[in-house]
Amino acid sequence: MKNTFIAKNPSVLWFMLGLSLFTVIVSICSEAAGTALISTSFLKTLGKTLCLCLVAVAMDVAWGYCGILSLGHFAFFGIGGYAIGMWLMYDRTKNIVVSSLESNILPATPEEITDAIGSQIFGVVGSSDFPLIWAFSHSLTLQLLAVVLVPGLLALVFGWFAFRSRVAGVYLSILTQAMTLALSLYLFQNDTGLRGNNGLSGLQNIPGLEAVSQATLSLWFFWASALALAAGYLLFAWMTSGKFGSVIRAIRDNEARVRFLGYHVESYKLFIFTVTAMVAGVAGALYYPQAGIINPAEIAPIASIYLAVWVAIGGRGRLYGAVIGAAVVSLMSSWFTGGSAPDINLGVYVVKWTDWWLVLLGLTFVAVTLFFPKGIGGLFDLLPRKGERT
Amino acid sequence: MRSALIVLMLMICSAPAAIAQTLQPILQTHAAEISKPSRRSVGETLDAITRSSLPQATAFLEQWSEKNIWQRDDGVFFLGVADGNTLALTDIDTQATSSAPKANYKQLKPNGGVRRLIGTALVQFQLIDPDLPRRETAVASIARRPEAAQLAPLLASIAAETDPALKVRKTQLANFLSARFADEPADRIAAINSLATDTSVESRAVLNQILLVKPGVARTQPDGNIAAIHDPMDAPDAYYTALINEDLAPAKQTTADMKRTLKSNIVDGRIAGFALAQMNDLETRKAAYAALATDGLVPVLITEDLRDASLNNHVFYDLYDEPNAEITAAAHRVLGTVTSRVATAQVADLTLDALSLASIFFLAAIGLAITFGVMGVINMAHGEFIMMGAYTGYVVQLFVPNYTVSLIIALPLAFAVTFGAGVVMERLVIRRLYHRPLETLLATFGISIALQQIAKNIFGTQARPLTSPDWLAGAWVFNDVIQISYIRIAIFVLALMFLGLIIYILKRTRLGLEVRAVTQNPGMASSMGIDPDRINMMTFGLGSGIAGIAGVAIGLYAKVTSEMGSDYIVQSFMTVVVGGVGNVWGTLAGAAMIGFGQKGIEWLNPSNTLAAQTYMIFFVILFIQFRPKGIVAQKGRAAGD
Repeated sequence: MKNTFIAKNPSVLWFMLGLSLFTVIVSICSEAAGTALISTSFLKTLGKTLCLCLVAVAMDVAWGYCGILSLGHFAFFGIGGYAIGMWLMYDRTKNIVVSSLESNILPATPEEITDAIGSQIFGVVGSSDFPLIWAFSHSLTLQLLAVVLVPGLLALVFGWFAFRSRVAGVYLSILTQAMTLALSLYLFQNDTGLRGNNGLSGLQNIPGLEAVSQATLSLWFFWASALALAAGYLLFAWMTSGKFGSVIRAIRDNEARVRFLGYHVESYKLFIFTVTAMVAGVAGALYYPQAGIINPAEIAPIASIYLAVWVAIGGRGRLYGAVIGAAVVSLMSSWFTGGSAPDINLGVYVVKWTDWWLVLLGLTFVAVTLFFPKGIGGLFDLLPRKGERT
Repeated sequence: MRSALIVLMLMICSAPAAIAQTLQPILQTHAAEISKPSRRSVGETLDAITRSSLPQATAFLEQWSEKNIWQRDDGVFFLGVADGNTLALTDIDTQATSSAPKANYKQLKPNGGVRRLIGTALVQFQLIDPDLPRRETAVASIARRPEAAQLAPLLASIAAETDPALKVRKTQLANFLSARFADEPADRIAAINSLATDTSVESRAVLNQILLVKPGVARTQPDGNIAAIHDPMDAPDAYYTALINEDLAPAKQTTADMKRTLKSNIVDGRIAGFALAQMNDLETRKAAYAALATDGLVPVLITEDLRDASLNNHVFYDLYDEPNAEITAAAHRVLGTVTSRVATAQVADLTLDALSLASIFFLAAIGLAITFGVMGVINMAHGEFIMMGAYTGYVVQLFVPNYTVSLIIALPLAFAVTFGAGVVMERLVIRRLYHRPLETLLATFGISIALQQIAKNIFGTQARPLTSPDWLAGAWVFNDVIQISYIRIAIFVLALMFLGLIIYILKRTRLGLEVRAVTQNPGMASSMGIDPDRINMMTFGLGSGIAGIAGVAIGLYAKVTSEMGSDYIVQSFMTVVVGGVGNVWGTLAGAAMIGFGQKGIEWLNPSNTLAAQTYMIFFVILFIQFRPKGIVAQKGRAAGD
């Protein structure tokens, strides 16, 4: 079975090989390995990029394979980040509070500890009570479940409503964008319990692992991200091959015909929408501990649009295309906007890339949509195939 | 200058009655009191000065209050202005000026209490001053700080008042004063009743002043004008605090107090026999404290039972400051009437607000109603066209300083600029993607990102002002509750004009006919000799151009930034989708629903616009589930499915 799966999808094997090679090389070059050819901050960037690749793969399955142009997957990504961030922040604050209360003559009561944690976390929004949504924040297991379940549940409910009433195409895109906007506006409020526009911070410090240096920690996270990407890639490669894959591709190409053939189109779409949302949540949960901070601006509708841009530039309808798109565009973005790209002196005007990168990206995107619908991934079609050589 | 002339004229006219022409003798009689006035005894002096009815008395009192009166060594008073070591002096009666070294003079500095009394004495002069602005100032000062003593002079001045507006104001103010300070309760009640139709903040303040209460607590209910008796069980802790403040009950120990007490009673590492390590539990702490209390080392812990028992032994009441129950009852009743009137007015105000919000949404969305609604093109750069229009207005203002003229130039120019941009975009991008709507969405996203960044590069990140002309500044004030700024009215009118224009173009012109033909069946339309490419280009240009004009209007009321477009894009699409695609009336309905809905939610949860937006979007998402085709759904062939 496995043999045939790989044989049918040679790209999966190549991708796994490439990813492993990349991981090994980066590990050897990292500070933790002693060579320090790659700085810890760049290692974090690479780890974050792998997470972005994972959410791009999920987006590609929803959009490139099933035709659901969701402008809400980055919101699911953010929810995953918030879910893990709540535990990280709670547990770390708890450790700090407990150690600071230890010097007291009277040992602290559980109520005192909770109050102290509350005023530490929610002091910035002028509160000290724990809102209801933090009810499970003390438990890593429950919050890890939330990473998957909350985006999944939101996608399930939203998708059930949307697909049931046959909202499709651009309408669905606008609706998911509205959902994303509503979510980010909701998180922006101070009284909704997630610290308003302050967001959650200090997520790079993992409770219980204080002794481990950031260099080592970021390598671990890099490995975890690579592993998650590999697992997600395999999962989606398996899902999109075979009969199930054919059905969802058929839905993309002609929904009505698939429905008339007797398939329950809505269930397929709902399944894809929910699973990809859950994977997006996992990607977010791995991303934000590496980023160190999450705030509602991360979830703003424009982020989900960039996600679509990555997938389109990379080439939709092929999983490695999404990975290439996310990696290339996000790394280029951070290179250009980071100020390290050389300015171009045109004599009359100096093109500063920090200012003009977005213009270039926007126009590239238009050009890709118009002239290269297959994106960068389309270049692989130009490679001679084994069967065609003879 | 004018008042000086009048003073001069008055002096000449009153020359025959030369008995008390000069103020100085009167001042000298009371010299001791004037140079060292005290709040308690200055009244007699003030009476003497006012009784003289001399025109210069007003000036003297004013200057006295302003600390501009100086006394010479021999006791004579002068009006003086210090300049270094010299004094510029003016004689109080003759107005003759002179100057003298400062050393021989002493400045009079009446204290705050005296100055207030001087002010009150002055008011009666000012209220009948021939100069209208001075009378207005006097009335305004009474309104600012109403006092009982002002009632009589105010009432006396009403009959002689010549300015009609001021007369109305004086009568209103006299009413307020009588309601609070008149001697006869009947007069007060009459005045209070007359406030029933007045919804102004001032009149409500007067009623609330009369209804001021002092909370109190006692073992038995006291006599007096009781406003309310409270049940302490509603908020036991708060009422217990009141008991503690009145020394009627022992202080309640907070957990922090308990902790402190426990800490100070540690004996040999134990508290009342309990080990310190056990103290990480609230119940154990209480037990330890109770043990300490039994030994008499600390006061007894106030438990909830103890607290409730002492609460039940006391009466908690609100006592009116006003002793007369009839007056408070009248004020209470009238306040009820006024409050319900105010509520009605607030609903009206909210409706106006919602209307103006709806017209902003409509204005932002109407361009989309054409490009998306009629043509079916998803233009995510629509918001950037709004932004371009607003920046066009800003640039025009840089060159044309007259705001009215610049607005007249900016409106057609914004249309031209965005029409051009729309046509270019249609020809270069959208035309190639007519059969791939999802790709149109993406490509226009790309354009939107690029346009936004270009605007940021040209105009910077800070907000640029688009100033409205003076005749659009300010607000139309109906009363203290209902008011609406002119700019919002203008936006409303503009929205109505656009609605009319679009309906006219689509339904009554050749272009509109061809547009509808092309959207319904391009093949058939072109076989009838219509050029679909041209029509699509024109329609898209029209929709974009209207976005540009909307941009100028929105820029007038909000700030112009490169990101303003993205603030409106999602809402605009929602407006079109909720209203029903393909119908301008639908867009109007959608804008009305979203505008009113959002204001309604804001009313339920004031001071939280973000929440209102959030819940409105949730509501719209739900609404689309149940009415996917919008409020005004297209039927038949035009529906296109």
